[in-house]
Amino acid sequence: MAKGKDQKDSITPEIFNHLVQLAAFELTQEESEYLRAELNAQLSAIGELEAIEIDDSVPITSHGVPYPAAITPELREDVILDCPEADDIVAGSPSNEDRYIIVPDIPHEELE
Amino acid sequence: MTQYEAIIGLETHIQLNTVSKIFCSCKADSWFDPPNTNICPVCTGLPGILPVLNRAAVEKAIRLAGAMGAEAIQATSYFARKNYFYPDLPKGYQISQYDEPLARGGYMDVPLSESDVRRVTITKLHLEEDAGKTVRSGQQRKIDFNRCGVPLVEMVTGPDLRSADEAAQYLIRLRQLLRWLDISEADMEKGQLRCDANVSIRAIGETGLNPKTEIKNVNSIENVRDAIEAEVQRQIREVEGGGIVEAWTLDWDEETATLRKMRSKETEADYRYFREPDLLPLAVDESWRDRLVEGLPELPLARRTRIAQEYGIPLYDAEILTEERSLADYFEGTVEIYAGEAKTVSNWLMNDVLRIMREKGLRAGQLKIKPDHLAEIIQLVDKKRINTTTAKDLLERVQKTGQAPGVLVEQEGLAQVSDSAELESLIKVVMEENPDQVATYRGGKTTVIGWFVGQVMRKSGGKANPQIVQELLEQSLRE
Amino acid sequence: MTDSLPDLPAREQSRLFRSGEVSALEIVEATLARIEALEGRSPTSAPYEQTPADLEKLHAYITVTAERARAQAQSLDQHRAQGGELGPLAGATLAVKDIFCVKDTPSTAGSRILETFISPYTATPVARLEAAGVIVLGKANMDEFAFGSSSESSAFLPPPGNPWKPTHVPGGSSGGSTAAVAAGEAALSIGTDTAGSIRQPAAFCGVVGMKPTYGRVSRYGLIAFASSLDCPGPIARDVEDTALMLQAMAGEDRRDATTAALAVPSLTAELDAGVEGLRVGLSPDYFKLKYPDPETGELHEQAITPEIEEAVRSAAQVLEQQGAIIVEDVPMPTTHYGIPAYFVISRVEAASNLHRYDGVKYGHRSAHSVDDLRLLYRKTRGEGFGPQPKLRILMGMYVSAEQYEQGYYQRALRVRTLIRRDFEKAFDPEGEYRLDALLSATTPTTAFKIGQVYGDSVLMQYADLLTVSANHAGIPAISVPAGFDNTGMPIGIQFMGPDFREAQLLRIAHAFEHGTMDASWRNIKPGVLDLEG
Repeated sequence: MAKGKDQKDSITPEIFNHLVQLAAFELTQEESEYLRAELNAQLSAIGELEAIEIDDSVPITSHGVPYPAAITPELREDVILDCPEADDIVAGSPSNEDRYIIVPDIPHEELE
Repeated sequence: MTQYEAIIGLETHIQLNTVSKIFCSCKADSWFDPPNTNICPVCTGLPGILPVLNRAAVEKAIRLAGAMGAEAIQATSYFARKNYFYPDLPKGYQISQYDEPLARGGYMDVPLSESDVRRVTITKLHLEEDAGKTVRSGQQRKIDFNRCGVPLVEMVTGPDLRSADEAAQYLIRLRQLLRWLDISEADMEKGQLRCDANVSIRAIGETGLNPKTEIKNVNSIENVRDAIEAEVQRQIREVEGGGIVEAWTLDWDEETATLRKMRSKETEADYRYFREPDLLPLAVDESWRDRLVEGLPELPLARRTRIAQEYGIPLYDAEILTEERSLADYFEGTVEIYAGEAKTVSNWLMNDVLRIMREKGLRAGQLKIKPDHLAEIIQLVDKKRINTTTAKDLLERVQKTGQAPGVLVEQEGLAQVSDSAELESLIKVVMEENPDQVATYRGGKTTVIGWFVGQVMRKSGGKANPQIVQELLEQSLRE
Repeated sequence: MTDSLPDLPAREQSRLFRSGEVSALEIVEATLARIEALEGRSPTSAPYEQTPADLEKLHAYITVTAERARAQAQSLDQHRAQGGELGPLAGATLAVKDIFCVKDTPSTAGSRILETFISPYTATPVARLEAAGVIVLGKANMDEFAFGSSSESSAFLPPPGNPWKPTHVPGGSSGGSTAAVAAGEAALSIGTDTAGSIRQPAAFCGVVGMKPTYGRVSRYGLIAFASSLDCPGPIARDVEDTALMLQAMAGEDRRDATTAALAVPSLTAELDAGVEGLRVGLSPDYFKLKYPDPETGELHEQAITPEIEEAVRSAAQVLEQQGAIIVEDVPMPTTHYGIPAYFVISRVEAASNLHRYDGVKYGHRSAHSVDDLRLLYRKTRGEGFGPQPKLRILMGMYVSAEQYEQGYYQRALRVRTLIRRDFEKAFDPEGEYRLDALLSATTPTTAFKIGQVYGDSVLMQYADLLTVSANHAGIPAISVPAGFDNTGMPIGIQFMGPDFREAQLLRIAHAFEHGTMDASWRNIKPGVLDLEG
């Protein structure tokens, strides 16, 4: 979405970098520019939300459809069922050894 | 010189002893199983999976909240997603209650001495899922998802504890309660009960709270005590030296018994909590809640007090007899059948039955010696049908065979020998075999009579009535 | 006869199979031949350069599971030979949107990050269809993780084309599904609808697509996009097939705690009951739409394409002639909040749902050797996700991160309540309007050309303007073909109804279908079939 360069972007490069860190992405410069521009464009659409008059007494809707007790499914009974997929899950992982899934270490985080 | 007091709050994570996991039907207890065996698409976070809440996990949490005297077990509580990256967290988020927990408020009274009690308040209690385990192996991490999805209750106390010992006492009482209610096995070494401690200090007389540190990864009650003690001393040294206490997170290194700083609080991750859309709000209606809370058994401290008063036994005895619920049941059951002095039953339990339990690693409820067996054995002693030595032997035999004591006494011919003629012939033999000892006695050293009693007892195969043996011996030796 | 097998309705394929006139294997082979003729080169994750030939073919499937389908057909044939019981769809063919896990098949969600993921389990609604004897032919192409309205954002290219004109998009995100069904590459397809992802491509491809009530069909095995909005649903060439397919999929599932504990009534019993006395509403808020100017971002009010408006109004007439009561001017003032609220809710949920793709357990792991897991996460996710997931994840981070969120998410969930209230008012049996259904266009425009809108994430999203409200409200909605525009592209109209009243919506849609059966546009066949001829 074309937007004048002089217009102030809500998502600055600093904020963008923080979001990228939260999202755990390695991005090329080109990708970063495209994504940041699109994000700012989407934000203007979200901005429409803020204009809506709405008081705090309006409850939130989590699924649209209400779940009265009559149609709420029962909780699960505490019984063990076999896990026939266990071997496939281990075998399907990118790296495994002796039934463990293997990843590189996370270097120590201790400061002192 | 300034006197300081410690201000301690504990955040405990309690593994519930349900048979299956909290959101799927995999086996929860993997202690003896190879890695990644009790796993399924749900607990390993495969694409497309959904959680389904285990009713038993909710019920155990409600019972715990009831036992802690929660002010509110909420009619509606919610699950949220706590989002972060870690290899032991397969979905990339932990499903945990957050802003609307299952229960708020409550307390536990922790006895510090016979007259002193510390009231530890509970701020909140919520349900969540456990993460997996990772093991360092050179430059790699090995991941085992077996523990993923084991149900946990997180229970947070107010800053109410005033020393490392009090913190340890709280954990001991909590462990007792969890086992008492069959909510958790609560073995810290197995990670079934885990504890983070928030520690700060203040000069006695002050009322405000100072910056605190958080101690993590402590895996036994002794270590909790040691770690908190070390941290309190460190903070005192820091403040005395003119420094300030910073809001650090500390890691307890068991091997070196020292604390290491982990990362500063300020850099803590942003978990971006939001309501878990895959689960409906958790509705706990009044009748369900009341049925669970009203169905709670008498709690350990109340029972300890009642047992001491009702049976007229020392509080010390009552404390030991209420260490676990089946032992207390055992005691009261035995007293009822025995119908004699409760203290006698208490002595037998504390000296002999507890020893057998410890040797065999059993709880009272798991013993083959049942309360009616124990009552019968004590009655046999009272009636002098058997002597104490035989009684102790009989306990072992009942535990081994599960047969009634009376039957064993008959079968094995264990009844006490009180017949004078039979005993006198044994005495005669012993005296003939040991003329030197007879001389010693007659020379005035009458204390060797004990030795003679022992010899006669041995010859009787332990069945002789020792009082009668002594009386008969005294006559014979004087002659 | 075999040549026409792929064009038969599913129930007709099944009838022929059950009566022994054709074998299940013959149905499968005929459909595989159709696939072979229309598909073109197989979509891959390799760098894509469009060729002119790509614009003549469909590319509706990411994976065709021919051997699995043959095996299933043979076992059905055996079952029939042994006199086994067979349901009303046994032997019919199905394309599964690749967002559903199907055991032992690649289940990619259209993403490179799941390219190597072979699912060890099958999604509940697919498993139910398979248990009913429906034969899975393969996995249909789609927008990556269902993030889009054109299917162009798939990591597996060429993107699917529209069977009526393969230079045009089939819509999305279930575009491969609707293209396959329209072109006879399957009789049925199972799609997902988060903001219109079944109904919009159904409208673009001239087929029927239904979003059931949230909680009516299990989401277990559906690779999650926005969990509180995602709905699996049926795609077919007519209403009766749609009803039969939904019947086979629907109902409580103990693996999805959000499925309603509610019996599913017969969805076909009243299909022919007509619309006499039923109240069908029209809302001005579905004819004029507010959306931001692509240049300035300013809000504009704009009428939907006149030909589409005309199709809606003539559909109302068709129903009125059959005795329905048309209720004009039903106010639905919150309609234009749908997209902004959706921007927030879907991004927050999507960012969280996509956290799990980290290269540890399954799917893509960066081949770069790294000695820090955190670096592996960044490389894997950087390489594995295309621009659309990246965009949605980043937006999800922004509107949920503590520093920036400004209550966006809570506010969006409240707006969702307002949207829901509009529908409750319209459907209230004691209220002013007492609607049995609300009738509207499915889309503001017909299918656009491949490449025309792609890349502009905001504009693309507004293709869902008329459909997203039903997702916010959780209510059922069905899109049915209602003619063509002057360029020959299909027009779809939708009926929205009260919670769990799918049977009634299908009945109304069926009445409309019945009332237009003799219309000349019903004889127009997808252009791609002429190309084949």
